[in-house]
Parts: sequence; structure tokens; C-alpha cells
Amino acid sequence: MVLDRSPRLDRVFHALAHPARRAIIRQLSGGERNLSELASPLKMTFPAATKHVRVLEAARLVRRRVAGREHLCRLEAAPLKEATLWTEQFRRHWEAQFQALDSLLEEMKSKE
Amino acid sequence: MNSNAKELQITTPTDTTIVLTRSFNAQSRLVWAAMFTPDKMRRWMLPPPGWTLTTCECDAVVAGALALAWKSDEADPAMTLRGVFTEVVPHERIVHTETMALGSGQVIGSVLERHEFAEQGGATLLRITQTYASKEARDGAIASGMDQGMEACYRQLDAVLAG
Repeated sequence: MVLDRSPRLDRVFHALAHPARRAIIRQLSGGERNLSELASPLKMTFPAATKHVRVLEAARLVRRRVAGREHLCRLEAAPLKEATLWTEQFRRHWEAQFQALDSLLEEMKSKE
Repeated sequence: MNSNAKELQITTPTDTTIVLTRSFNAQSRLVWAAMFTPDKMRRWMLPPPGWTLTTCECDAVVAGALALAWKSDEADPAMTLRGVFTEVVPHERIVHTETMALGSGQVIGSVLERHEFAEQGGATLLRITQTYASKEARDGAIASGMDQGMEACYRQLDAVLAG
């Protein structure tokens, strides 16, 4: 199973588990931001924001580049797509079970 | 496709819950019987790849027990599921606890599962709410469904090809 126990996906979900990091992702969905722009609406210190950005970087959800004195962050969409696929598999598992249940119910109805 | 109306919806309204809704073209008493009668449960509960359901007991009354066990080539049991029914309103609402453990006895996780049945015009809308102890446990449950999901897809495909 290629996708199971993916350390990369674990990092993605770990990264998404914190509300501050989800807020950072929302901000970045509007385009590139520097670290202080990310920190201020969260009422967060610069080092705290940096720490969250590092977690997002480790999950490859965010890419940071240095331009002069600024650290500019932008969103990387690919790992988010993979996370969507992951929930899709959960859905398929249940749908397969429910389809088996549909067949069983048809059989039960015809026997009544 | 006319199956849109009955399509499975999955939402995560809070960090610790998963809600599944799905409509079935049968009265609620039949859906209930199919979901909580052991010989019928065996028909639709798709085991993880390479596993076989060995024990399937279900006593759907308050304080009644739910007990499932699976074996694999390596272990018997490979996994167990034990639970107790805490609330039962026949054909309407049923709540049970559920603890999954490895064959060694090591507990994997627990979940509170609530099923609500709403019958309308001969069809039944089923809503399952799974409540986990933590967000990590909830996410882990989604991840473990992935293997099974793939296997279930292959099985469906096999059935189609064989037919």
C-alpha cells in the first residue's frame, strides 16, 4: 500500500491539526505574505509564527523564500490534494460496505 | 445516475467526530435488521485485506454486547471489536461504544457510534455519528479506512468482472 503510513501525510495532518496553522494557510490562500503579516492577525509573536511556519514547511504545505530582510511565505497546494485523496479512500470503504448493504436489502425486500 | 439522492456524505463537524449520511431504498426496520443481525452483518461488513470475520455477535438491546473478531494468515484473532449498546430505540436510534484491539490485546482505539434512522416514503436516511477521544484518534480512523477502502474497491471490481 503506497499511501498508507505515509510519513509525509502524517506531517500534513499534524500541520493541519493546529488552528493557528490553519489560519496561516487561509491567509496564504490569498497570496504570498511575509512572516510579520502572518503573525499580526494571529496576535502572535514573531518566533511563535516562525515555529508554526516551520511545521508547515516540514509538511511542504508552505514554501519560504528570503528577499532582503523579508521572509516571504507561499502556499504549496499539492500536499493538500493528497490529504483530500486520503479522505476519499475512507469514503470509498464505507460506500463499498453500503453498496453491499443495498444488495442485501433488495434481497430482504424480495423475501417479504 | 439516479443514485445522487442516496450518495454517501461524510463530514467532520468537530475535531473529534465523523458524520456519515446515506439513504437506503428500504424501510428502517429492514435497514436496522441488516445492520444489527449477525448473519446479515457478515454480508456487508467488508474485512481488511486478507482478513476473515470469525466472530460476529450483536445483541442490540440496552447493555447488550457487540463482539467482532477477525483472523489473518498471521494471527487469530488479528483484531477484535467489543462494544456495549447504551441507547436503543428500535428502528430509530441506537448508540454503542466500540473498542478495537489487536490480537495481542493492545487497544487501538475507542469510539462512540450513534446511528439515527429517518424513514420517509419507504426509504431510510441513515446518519452515523462517530465520536473519537481526540482529533488524532479521529484522523487515525480515517487513515485506517484507507487500506480497507482500496481492498473494497478491488472486490467490487472483481464482482463486476465475474458477473
